[in-house]
Amino acid sequence: MTRDCFPVRTALLVAAIAMVLAACSPTTSTALQATGLSAQPDGWRGVPIELDRQLPEVTLSDTAGQPVTLGDEFLGDPTLLFFGYTHCPDICPIHLAAISAAMREVGISFDEMDVVFVSVDPDRDTPERIDEYLANFNSRITGLHADIATVEQALAALDLPGPIVEGPDPRGEGDLIGHPAQVIGFDSDGQAQRVWPFGARRADWVVDLPRIVETW
Amino acid sequence: MNVAWWCSGTGQVWTWRYTPFLGVWVVGGTLIGGYVWSHRRAGRPIDPRRFRRWILGVLAVFAVSEWPIGQIGVGYLASVGIARYVVYTFVAAPLLLSGLPTWLVERWLPESSRRQRAVATLTYWPIALLIFNAVLFGTHLPVAVDTLKTTQLGSFTVDVLHLGAALIWWWPAMRPAHERNAIQEPIRAFYLFASSVLMFVPAAFLTFSPLPLYGVYELAPPLWLGFDPVQDQQSAGIVMNVVGGFVLWGIIAVLFLRWAKQREEEDAAARSERNATILARIRELEGGVERP
Repeated sequence: MTRDCFPVRTALLVAAIAMVLAACSPTTSTALQATGLSAQPDGWRGVPIELDRQLPEVTLSDTAGQPVTLGDEFLGDPTLLFFGYTHCPDICPIHLAAISAAMREVGISFDEMDVVFVSVDPDRDTPERIDEYLANFNSRITGLHADIATVEQALAALDLPGPIVEGPDPRGEGDLIGHPAQVIGFDSDGQAQRVWPFGARRADWVVDLPRIVETW
Repeated sequence: MNVAWWCSGTGQVWTWRYTPFLGVWVVGGTLIGGYVWSHRRAGRPIDPRRFRRWILGVLAVFAVSEWPIGQIGVGYLASVGIARYVVYTFVAAPLLLSGLPTWLVERWLPESSRRQRAVATLTYWPIALLIFNAVLFGTHLPVAVDTLKTTQLGSFTVDVLHLGAALIWWWPAMRPAHERNAIQEPIRAFYLFASSVLMFVPAAFLTFSPLPLYGVYELAPPLWLGFDPVQDQQSAGIVMNVVGGFVLWGIIAVLFLRWAKQREEEDAAARSERNATILARIRELEGGVERP
């Protein structure tokens, strides 16, 4: 190695080591898993639920102010139930967009299946706000709301944790709220069958939606 | 302030808070510093025209790798991700290559050295075409994108591959005619055209796939409500097709026209030389007649 080459080579070596070290340590605590859900042994993408859980006998309100009891209203058709909030920056819009787009893709209508969004943020999620929000995906998604105690009751009936305030939204839109990230699928008898955790992609729903309509 | 080495898909909510990417600054500084240092070391003056091109090439790399374009392109919008590829390949690489003086290339690649032989092999046009397209196809496969772009090291590797493959690919088309491996018209037009046609294949997948191909963009926090990853993907396909293809065709047209003009000028020069010779001969003959 000549004297002239030394500084450049050393600088390159230091830069390379720094790069590898920096690149190996993620800047964020959560790493994005972008590969979607893996297929279950039976070919479904949704994960089967082993426990016996029913649509909760809890009464909430729809956006028109009418009372809706989950365990009564959604019998007869398969139902996808999701707890979220309209200021959610990631999980909620991603799930709702994937489901509504996949329904369009495979030609399944809301007459064949119900999609229900229950707000876990009663303070900010007014009926108008919920309607406006759901219209971004499909206005036939059913939006429900209730006081926080009622929502927690519904969550508890499904062994799901209650919502928690996680701190300020980095976009400056109030607080972020931690909530269950999975969509729960119920058959037409109201029996919980499968869950789709966050990470379910449109391609996963395209596989599962026709099965839901045909077999549930 | 949040600092990272290179942009990657983190799954974090997008905010307009500046996140510097140190690697981009290091790469940019090294490219400009190395250029100046190489000239000083060789005792050669910097050609302002070439230096301007080199700087513009580095700026192009910098602009699409630093926040916010780098971050949006790697972690949020496929269309911006493809636009980054187009800039790396069709803007930065040719500018960087045209900014390199021949003496510097010869100095870095001494005749018959191992380095020179390696570069000569890589830039032999059929091999360069193969490498460019292997990188183009390989780095746009969903599994590659979803695996590599979610880590800083992987994302950096993809960007290095894109720029490296683009430099290799442009090399035979852009280096001066007397250099080894430099290709001439009309092979050069075919060479560039073949790549533009092959680029339509991944672009068509992006444009016509009914489902989002890349989880990294589909599962990223949306930048706006109602964001549709398929529409974004279609835009990405159009960017690759229209911008990439048309830029390339524009370059092909310019190079071809320049070549045609050069040939015309050469023909004209040859014609006038021939005419001058004939005229001289005639005069000589006429002179012979007049001579007693």
